[in-house]
Amino acid sequence: MTGKLRPGEARNRRDTVAALFFLLPNFLGFVIFTSGPVIFSLAASFTNWNLQQTVPFRWVGFGNYGRLLADPEFHLYAVNTAYFLLGMPLAIAGSLCLAMMLSQKLKGIVIYRTLFYLPSFTSGVALMILWKALYNPDFGPVNAMIDWVTHSLHLSIAAPQWLLSTQNVLGLDVEKVGFAAKQLGIGARDAIIIMGIWTAVGGNNMLLYLAALTNVPQELSEAAELDGAGPWQVFRNVTWPQLAPTTFFIVVMSFIGGLQGGFEQARVMTAGGPAGTTTTLAYHIYTKAFEEFQIGYASAASWVLFALVFAATAINWKFGNREVSY
Amino acid sequence: MRVFFAVTFVVLIGLSLLAWSIRPNVAEPGKTALTWVSDDNPARREQISLFNRLHKDLTLRLDPNNTGMEKVIVQSLAGVGPDLFDCYDTFQLSAYVKSGIAWDVTDELAKLGLDPAKQTWKAVQADSIYEGRAYGFGNNVGADAVWFNKSIFDREGIPYPKGPWRWPEFIKLAQRLTHRDANGRATQFGFMCEWWQWLHFVYQFGGRVYSEDGTRCVVDSPETVAAVQLLYDLIYKYKVMPSPVEEAAMATQGGWGSGTITRFGADKGAMALGGRWWLCTLRDYKGLRLGVVECPYSVKRVFRGYGKGTLINKNSPHRQEALKFLIYQAGRDYNQLISDQADALGPVVKFAYEPRYLMNPKHPEEDYNVVWRDALERATPDQYSPFINGQVALRLLNKQLDLVKNNQKTAKEAMRDAALQLNREIARGLEQDPELARRYRETTGRTAPGGAQ
Repeated sequence: MTGKLRPGEARNRRDTVAALFFLLPNFLGFVIFTSGPVIFSLAASFTNWNLQQTVPFRWVGFGNYGRLLADPEFHLYAVNTAYFLLGMPLAIAGSLCLAMMLSQKLKGIVIYRTLFYLPSFTSGVALMILWKALYNPDFGPVNAMIDWVTHSLHLSIAAPQWLLSTQNVLGLDVEKVGFAAKQLGIGARDAIIIMGIWTAVGGNNMLLYLAALTNVPQELSEAAELDGAGPWQVFRNVTWPQLAPTTFFIVVMSFIGGLQGGFEQARVMTAGGPAGTTTTLAYHIYTKAFEEFQIGYASAASWVLFALVFAATAINWKFGNREVSY
Repeated sequence: MRVFFAVTFVVLIGLSLLAWSIRPNVAEPGKTALTWVSDDNPARREQISLFNRLHKDLTLRLDPNNTGMEKVIVQSLAGVGPDLFDCYDTFQLSAYVKSGIAWDVTDELAKLGLDPAKQTWKAVQADSIYEGRAYGFGNNVGADAVWFNKSIFDREGIPYPKGPWRWPEFIKLAQRLTHRDANGRATQFGFMCEWWQWLHFVYQFGGRVYSEDGTRCVVDSPETVAAVQLLYDLIYKYKVMPSPVEEAAMATQGGWGSGTITRFGADKGAMALGGRWWLCTLRDYKGLRLGVVECPYSVKRVFRGYGKGTLINKNSPHRQEALKFLIYQAGRDYNQLISDQADALGPVVKFAYEPRYLMNPKHPEEDYNVVWRDALERATPDQYSPFINGQVALRLLNKQLDLVKNNQKTAKEAMRDAALQLNREIARGLEQDPELARRYRETTGRTAPGGAQ
C-alpha cells in the first residue's frame, strides 16, 4: 500500500475539486441569500425581536405562534388567502381549453399563442394599473358594459363597485371569520380573482398544457375514434388521463403560488383594503415586519404560512397523485 | 469545458474590477457627499441647490427612492443608511429614537444658539423633539385651510367666503356650489377633502384619539364620533363631497401632488381642504384663480397642524457635516425659500412675521398668506401615545374609517370598535414590554387598563 493515487483517482479528485470550485460562488450565494435567511427567520420566530428595540430582546419560545393562532386578524387574512384560491380551478380549466384551441394546426397559430401569452411577460404592475382603470365603478369599461346590458334588458341591477367594495360572492364577513348577509355581492376580492384568472389562463399553465398535448400519442386518439368515440369521449377517456401528470403539477404549483400570493395586488391596487378585505397572509407578513417592525411575530407567521403550503402540497401529493399514471 | 469555465471566471473578475474602477464619484473631489432621504417634491431640488451653493465643501443629494420608515431604519441599522432623513410624526420620531438611529442633537444645537422648542412652530416640534430632547430640526410646517376657486364663485355670482365661520354656513354654501347632471352624476362638487384629514375635524369638535396621558384610546367619545359623522354626512347626507365611488371616477394615478389637488385644480370642486404646499402643484395650472379662507369650525377654533422634521442618522460617518443642514433649516435663506416656493411654511416662527412672507414679489396674486399663518397659530399637532405602535393604530383606525366611508358601519359603531381594538392593543403591549408597563404604572398608578391599583 502506497500513499500515491492511481492516475484515474487523481484525475477524479482534480475534477471534483474543480467542480466544487466552480459551484462555490452559487453555493455561497444560496447559503448567504436563501438558506441563511430562512434559518435565521426560524430562529427569529422564537424571539420577541422588534426593530424599534423597545423591548429587551429575549427568547419567547412558541409565544409568537400561540399569539398568531389566537389572532383574529391572522384568521381573517388566512380566509382571504383561501378565498383567492377559488379562482384556481377556473384558471386551470381556462388554460386547458386555451391550450387545446391553440394546439390546432392552423395558419398563424404562433401569433395567437404569443398574444395569449402576452400578460405573462408584461409588467405585473402595469397590468394591475390597467385593471384598476377597467374596474373604475363609474367610468370603467367593465361597468359600462354591465350598465349597457342591464339597461338593454330593463333590469334594475346596480353594477358592482369592484375594488371599493367589501362584498364578496360568498358573503364573508369583514371583521370576523363567518358570513354576513350584507356582504353578499361582488367586491374587491372577486375583482382580484377575475384579474388573476385572466392573467393565468394564457400563462405558463397554458404552455405546460400545450407541451403535454403534443405528447399525447396520436394513435390512442385514432384508435378511440375508430371504435366510435366522439370528441368528448376522446377527451374524457384518452386526452385527459394523458394530461394527468401535467394537471397534477399545475395544481400543486398553483396551490403553492396561491397561498403565497396576493402581495403585488394588495400593494399596487388596494393597499390591502377596503377594510382589509384584500390583505392576504403574504401582505400581512410584510405589514407586520416592515411597517410595524414586529420581526419575531412576522417570522412566526412566515413559518405558519410555510406549514400551510407544505400541508396543502402533501395533501395534494397524497390524494391527487392517486389519479395520476405516468 | 474546464478552460471555458476558467476563462469565464477570469472575465467576470476583470469586468467587476473595471466596473469598480469606473464607478461614478458621489462627490466632487475635495467635497463631502451627504444623502438626504426625502420626497421628490419639485421644491426639494431647489432647497438642495441653495444648500450646495452656500456650502462649497459639501454636496447634498436627494434620495427619493428610499423614503419610508422601514427602509430608513433597516438601512441605517445595517450601516448603509442616509445621512439625513425626514420624519413626519411623533410615532415615527419615537420609532427612530427607539431604533437607535436618530442622533440626539440637543447639545450640538444649543452650542450654536439654536433651540427648536422656542424657535419653531409647535406643530413641527412633534417631528423633531421627543421627550424633551431634540433629534433634528423642523423642515416645513402647515395647517389646512379652505382653498376656493375664484372663477367658480364669480361664475355663480357668489361672494367669496370670509372666516371665521361655522359648518352650517359652510354646508349651505357647498350645497349651492354642487351641481349634478340629469343622471345624478356630479359635474362639480362644493367641497373636497381626503379622509386621512379626519383628525382636522376631530380636534375642532373637541375630540381626541388618546387620553391626555396617552394610556387610553378615546375615539369612541361623542366628540370624535360627531367629527367622523360630519365627514360621512358631507358625502352621504349633504352630498357636497365625492363618495369613494365618485372619487375613483375622478381618480388619477398616484405620485406627488395627485388626488384631490389635481381634481381641484381641474375645476372639479369649488372648495377643498388643503395646505399651502398645494401651490407647489397649483401654480402650474394656467388660469386658475385661487383664494383661501380659514376652515369652518365646530366647537373649537383649532386646526390640525402637521409638518416634517429632518433628522440625522446616528450611524452616519458625516454627522457633523449633516448638522450644517439643520443649521441651514434654521436660517433666513432656507425659510424664505420655503415661503417663496410655498412648500408650506418655514419651520422658524419669526420669519413668518417678516413682510417678505406676506408678499412674494413673483406671485403678487397670492394675497392670502396671512390665512396660513393664522391657521398655524391655532394649530394643534397630532396626538401620540407611547403605549401603542403608531402603525398598528393607524391600520386599525383606517380599517374602521373605511367601513364608515363605504357605508358599512355608522360612525358610532366604527369608533366604538376602533377604541376597543386600540385599547386591546395597548393592553397587549403592556403585557409584553416591562418598560412600557413600568411607565404605565407610573402614569396611572395601575398595572393594566382597568386593572388593580
